[in-house]
Amino acid sequence: MPGKPPPPEEEIKAIIGHEFPGGTYTIEHWENFLLTECTGAEPLPGKMVHPVALFHMPILGANTTIGEMFAVGKADSDHSIGIESYDWEMYQPLEEDTLYTVTAKVTDADRRSREDGRLYDRIQFQFDLADPNGDPAARTTITWHYNRSGSWTSR
Amino acid sequence: MDVQVGDNIPDWVMESVSAARMRTMAAILRDPNPVHWDRKAVAALKRLNLGERTINQGPLGLSYMINMLHDWTGPGSIRRIYMTFPLVVLDEDRIVAQGKITGLREENGEKLADCDIWLQRGDDQPLVGKATVVLPS
Repeated sequence: MPGKPPPPEEEIKAIIGHEFPGGTYTIEHWENFLLTECTGAEPLPGKMVHPVALFHMPILGANTTIGEMFAVGKADSDHSIGIESYDWEMYQPLEEDTLYTVTAKVTDADRRSREDGRLYDRIQFQFDLADPNGDPAARTTITWHYNRSGSWTSR
Repeated sequence: MDVQVGDNIPDWVMESVSAARMRTMAAILRDPNPVHWDRKAVAALKRLNLGERTINQGPLGLSYMINMLHDWTGPGSIRRIYMTFPLVVLDEDRIVAQGKITGLREENGEKLADCDIWLQRGDDQPLVGKATVVLPS
């Protein structure tokens, strides 16, 4: 069955610079505990947050969602998204019960084709976290492929 | 810590990737994609031929490498981690996080190790990336 026709390329390029609302996020102990347990690790010392939080914390802190990020890139469906890479820069360990400010924007978007001719749009999101003093805490860069002809992998 | 370029990072093993942990993770991430919590939804994607096994979230696979690095150089030691995802990880997979030092340098008074890191599943490497960690003195 043929997929949806791809959105015009100029519509994809136009999302470069799109800013999410931004906001704040605080990880409480229960959330860090469950998150760490999911990784198979023991709780980290003190109030240190497991770095795996650097996936969802920036997204939710920027007042967006995975679903909205799909929509910004005009995804065919949940199943049409593939991961190219996650790049996490950590300037200081994150801590529980600390209010982090998050800003986020689309930094790149362009259309590409695979060897078999199938199209995808490569879209890059950048999130910046700052601690309560305004000092940088982390930067994360998510690069996803929005497949336009049916191929996909999991996030 | 006395290390050399080419040294291996001690392995970190996830004996069996857990579907229950994927479900908890999906709730924490607010991730609605059923491939992470509904085995029948995965089986329905027949072109993938994965059977009734849920697909591990990318960040969870990445977390196994974080755990390996923490066990090696300590919590809070990671400065950067970059990850690609050539293959999916499925529930009940046995996964080994592995790595090797590719460079040693100093920056702002800290001794840093640059590393290649990956997940090994049999002969496959479903996740492949790089990391930079601070070495303990």
